[in-house]
Amino acid sequence: MSILLRSAHIIHSESAFNGLTRDVLIENGLIRQIADRIDAPDHAQVVELPNLHLSAGWVDMRVSTGDPGFEQKEDLTSACRAAVAGGFTDIAVLPNTRPVVDSKDTLGYVRRMAEGQPVAVHPIAAITKGAKGEDFTDMIDLHHAGAVAFSDGEHPLQNADLLLKTLQYLRPLGGLLMNRPEETGLTRFGQMHEGVQSTLLGLKGMPAMAEELMVARDLRLLAYVLGEAGTTEADTLPVLHFSCLSTAKSVELIRQAKEQGLPVSCDVAAHQLVFDDTALAGFDTFLKVNPPFRSRADVEALWAGLADGTIDAIVSDHSPQDDESKQVEFDHAEFGMTGLETVFGALMSHNPGLPLGQLIAALTTGPRRVLRLPTATIAEGEPATLTLFDPSGTWTFDRSVSKSKNSPFLGQTLTGRVLGTVRGGKLWR
Amino acid sequence: MQSLSTRHLLGIKDLTESDIQLILATAKEFKDVINRPIKKVPSLRDITIANVFFENSTRTRLSFELAEKRLSADVVNFSASGSSVKKGETLLDTVNNILAMKVDMIVMRHSSPGAPHYLAKHIPANVVNAGDGTHEHPTQALLDSFSIQQKLGDVAGKRVAIIGDITHSRVALSNIFCLQKQGAEVMVCGPATLIPKHISALGVRVSHDVREALNWCDVANVLRIQLERQQIKYFPSLREYSLYYGISKQMLDELDRSIVLMHPGPINRGVELTSDAADSHHSIILDQVENGVAVRMAVLYLLAQL
Repeated sequence: MSILLRSAHIIHSESAFNGLTRDVLIENGLIRQIADRIDAPDHAQVVELPNLHLSAGWVDMRVSTGDPGFEQKEDLTSACRAAVAGGFTDIAVLPNTRPVVDSKDTLGYVRRMAEGQPVAVHPIAAITKGAKGEDFTDMIDLHHAGAVAFSDGEHPLQNADLLLKTLQYLRPLGGLLMNRPEETGLTRFGQMHEGVQSTLLGLKGMPAMAEELMVARDLRLLAYVLGEAGTTEADTLPVLHFSCLSTAKSVELIRQAKEQGLPVSCDVAAHQLVFDDTALAGFDTFLKVNPPFRSRADVEALWAGLADGTIDAIVSDHSPQDDESKQVEFDHAEFGMTGLETVFGALMSHNPGLPLGQLIAALTTGPRRVLRLPTATIAEGEPATLTLFDPSGTWTFDRSVSKSKNSPFLGQTLTGRVLGTVRGGKLWR
Repeated sequence: MQSLSTRHLLGIKDLTESDIQLILATAKEFKDVINRPIKKVPSLRDITIANVFFENSTRTRLSFELAEKRLSADVVNFSASGSSVKKGETLLDTVNNILAMKVDMIVMRHSSPGAPHYLAKHIPANVVNAGDGTHEHPTQALLDSFSIQQKLGDVAGKRVAIIGDITHSRVALSNIFCLQKQGAEVMVCGPATLIPKHISALGVRVSHDVREALNWCDVANVLRIQLERQQIKYFPSLREYSLYYGISKQMLDELDRSIVLMHPGPINRGVELTSDAADSHHSIILDQVENGVAVRMAVLYLLAQL
């Protein structure tokens, strides 16, 4: 089985072919040949599309699937289908299922369900049992069983001592702790970003400070852990990762931490780069997410964080919710929106001028490094894990392949079109 | 004839100044009507209105019901206690069931901000917001403005201090919008924990000193402490609140000029107002209640014309 990609514009900063237009021949899952012109072998699947761009396969570090336990919202198969539609070859899935992925048993279920899917599924294991923030899971066990990282996912770690001990405990394993920063004592009953807009809408606000305090706290705890043990070679990789940054001050704190050499990383959800809190004026529950949409200045700071490399990865923060969770009063609605299918469209439609290569890096090399996945290279003889896209192509998001339809982009025409993925020797689209 | 720019009354935020003036002018006519021996007009005799109250209310519901009856509308009442809401029916299902019985207009009170906006997007009937959580209470603000107009002649240029729990008050927010649209100045006053951090961005003054507020204003609109809407502790005790933020007749008498005292009710006597203040000549609290019926008649009448 061979696939021939005709006149593909290659976007991959670590490849010798970066910025060049070439034919690419894939055979038996490997990149066989990259050349100006390749004659199609017999029975080759030839992909010849206008403005075809090619990069290493995209990685989404933050996906909720609902499998097991909330299969009516999304199961692993439908999540993988949505991931392919969004151009992803790899996804890391949160442990907030029912039961929570906090044992070898539940981790094994996710790994079994992931077999044969068009996307590589990397399970994130919970730090605490039931992600309740109380008792530790068997983390060494889970690490050896294939957990790509540790996080309580939707639940920020409130207890500083738990975070401290997790960092200490994971360190000899070279494990990664991921935390979504939110001091929940400051956000109880909160519905949206605290600001003028929340005041106008009479909705309880969630102050930016709730996120920033926890970023500052966690950085301080990390410095404490490293200071006591000394840095090692392993620390060149991030050991603490902040999920879903949303405020300017958070970006600044991490920028400073990186300048000081702390092994930290962070991501931003694509939708945070699009919306600000004024979007909530109509009480649209599809726009109710956590962290909430902040001010325009915060959105601009997030783009700046991407531009200067402070932010390592862009995630979908895909959070499928059924109608029963969203077609209700605003303060009764669940948080979250689906995102797998619209990451690229959202980014390209709202990009204030970031070079394409930098955006793609936040979907490829950035998350791969954070998750310690093998580097993907576009070179002859390398495995073909690729994403095909057209950065200027427009498309209308009129039908979602996710089981849930809670996307504010549904019905919208977006710029930035995914054309397919190549993984495991197959073309997916 | 003039008409409103909107077919729902969801909040003052969405009204134009001429909408407000139209409602107040119409209310004036209806106030004359309800002071006649025959307090009733046939205007809405072909209209059925459902008062759907998901939160406790006596005066607002009663005021709406009287307004509807004096316009000759058919009226049904639905309240959440003992209703299907407790069985887990959604808001939309509940209202659609009511509408299936051929109801033309919904007056709704609900604890969730934005609930009437959500409803208006999904049902064909006119929606009147009778209070949505901590968001808006448009008819209260309109009746407050009407009462100021009746008492002081005009709202424009007046200084109105809203005193009490601003954070949990839909009355405060609607009043701020309503008064500002008519050219009044607004101050909010209360303990710092009960004033939204970003409220000054709305163009209001902020004070934490009740005497300062009383000295500044022409009208003091004193709000009820919304203990039932406070999910977290905001101040130590009612005793301390009444000591430092309560208003007495003596405080009003000591001012160098006479101010108007308002309260949307129900009063916690001895907390935000002493009894002698509430019952003093400064108070127009019962006029507000009377005006409430006229203002609600105006709103319902004008919406029914669209």
